[in-house]
Amino acid sequence: MSHVAFQPRGREVALEADYVVVGSGAGGAPAAVTLARAGAKVAIVEAGPWRDPADYPSSVYGAMRDMIDAWGSNFTRGRAYWPIIQGSLVGGTTVINSAIAVRTPADIFEKWERAHGVGGASMAEAVWRIQDDLERELCVEEAPTPARGNSNLLAKKAADALGFENHYLLRYIKGCVGSGQCLQGCREDRKQSLNRNYVPEVLERGGDVLSCAPVERVLFEGNRAVGVRGRFRNPQTREGGADFVVRAKKGVLVAASVTRSAPLLMASGVQSRALGKHFRAHPGTPVFGVYDDPIDMNTGATQGWASVAYRDEPGFKLETLSLPLDMVAGRLSGSGQLLMDRLMEFRHLAIWVQACRAETVGEVRRTITGRPAVHYTLGREDMLRFREGMYQIARMHVAAGARAVLPGIFGMPYRLEPDQIDQLREAPLDPRAYVAILSHLFGGCVMGADPSRSVCDGRGRVHGYEGLVVVDASVIPTNLGVNPQHTIMALARLFAEQLVERPAARAAA
Amino acid sequence: MIWLIKFAMCAMMPRTEKLPGIGDTDLDGFLRRLRRDSDFLYWLGLALGAWLFAVTPLFTVWVPLPAFFLPKKLLDRHTERVLSSRIYLIRQAVFLVRLSAGMCWGADPTVRAKFAMSPYGTDPGTFRS
Repeated sequence: MSHVAFQPRGREVALEADYVVVGSGAGGAPAAVTLARAGAKVAIVEAGPWRDPADYPSSVYGAMRDMIDAWGSNFTRGRAYWPIIQGSLVGGTTVINSAIAVRTPADIFEKWERAHGVGGASMAEAVWRIQDDLERELCVEEAPTPARGNSNLLAKKAADALGFENHYLLRYIKGCVGSGQCLQGCREDRKQSLNRNYVPEVLERGGDVLSCAPVERVLFEGNRAVGVRGRFRNPQTREGGADFVVRAKKGVLVAASVTRSAPLLMASGVQSRALGKHFRAHPGTPVFGVYDDPIDMNTGATQGWASVAYRDEPGFKLETLSLPLDMVAGRLSGSGQLLMDRLMEFRHLAIWVQACRAETVGEVRRTITGRPAVHYTLGREDMLRFREGMYQIARMHVAAGARAVLPGIFGMPYRLEPDQIDQLREAPLDPRAYVAILSHLFGGCVMGADPSRSVCDGRGRVHGYEGLVVVDASVIPTNLGVNPQHTIMALARLFAEQLVERPAARAAA
Repeated sequence: MIWLIKFAMCAMMPRTEKLPGIGDTDLDGFLRRLRRDSDFLYWLGLALGAWLFAVTPLFTVWVPLPAFFLPKKLLDRHTERVLSSRIYLIRQAVFLVRLSAGMCWGADPTVRAKFAMSPYGTDPGTFRS
């Protein structure tokens, strides 16, 4: 078993394995552990460092520095500049998200089959079977009642009063204590992020893990992927280190993230007209409610409640979110004396968000510096959904007894009284009026039956190449309308299972 | 450049009767760390935001002076108006300054105590080697 972290310049580091997995997040780690359990020798190559709970930061500054890809400075290129938040460390975004586990809805598989010629009932059954296993292995459960916190309890109360479907979230968190620190990594070690389980298991099963090791190219012999090449990078100084090469006897699995997988394949010379295309997301934005009693949203589960009542029509998801003071201080509108006065209300704020099930399609490109560029501008129909989602959140706040709502929209009043929230339905439709983030990303290497419209087939195998498989959210050809981690993990595991299944089993299938 | 960023941050988060301002925190140390640690694009955006903050009073409060010559009341008005500028690029660049200021201010133990929050632990910055 070996873990190789940053190596200074000098002799090239060379390894060999049956399979090389690029990335260790929701796609890479489940795929790697599946291959390792089947007896294959696996090497995981991760661009970021390996941090354990004792290494996790406390502050937002520390999270930006230690965990978030490029300090959150990857943003959409388009009408509005919305940041794209992704983890860059062993375990990927699973370390810094709220670990929400939502089963892939049945309509998604039907849609994939109808529009892309992949998916269908057989994939649905396989994905759900794997999701059963994942839920058992990673201890999926609701936040225990004492750890729910006021914000989640209030959201439930509001949605119940308004009479729409809602629920406490199932999360990959065992015995949540409600420390409200999901976004900085769980220092209580309750969150089952993949740096705590699957990646160590790959090591225990004789695999290798390279961390601080961004892959620059996939290597080919003819049209067969035979390994990867890159250069170590010091996570503290960002200096380059030794070169590395990891040879793959059987295959290369790419799970570098939606913003990184397509650019990596582009840099490696992969030819596909669909590469980088069909990018989609769930852009999200919060609405603050101001309450008479303290909410203290940083006590309790960071995200413990959600509703998918509006998932199909008009198309958004509602959920709670607690933001730390050092984030809220920069997020509230206003400045100077006015901002400081507004911050006095911090303890009385509850933040609930809408994540829009956007149909807008964007594109991931590779810039000359090697950084990804995501071209994406939300269209009018999606802006209508987006705005309606914010209105529904405002309604919830009012139903929960908020004395005011803070929409945070440019061109709107800072504060809306309960009887003024209808103004939100007239809010501007220009994306530049909103401060949103993109956290659920899809596409760039989408799967499909037609090689002219897709990069991979229904098993993640890149069309026209051998031994090259994509196993992250890049393969997902549509939005999901629910949190994607459970789907990404199950798909990755399914594609890995299909790589190692015995010929007899394949014939029987 | 650090001086300019510090000036803009102090204008955005001044001390009030009830709360410490960002100038009461270890802002110098924060900015040194930020310069050292941050991504190049992030720092560039921050520097651009601080520069725009300094040179735009003519367009916000109609005074042809850099922001650091404005009296407090006018500076406060400039700060508010530049953050709600109709020009998106200006708004976004200056927003980045305020976002960064919030990271410094909100992590300060004195400030956190005002909101009945315990001080943050360390940001060790360590990793498996």
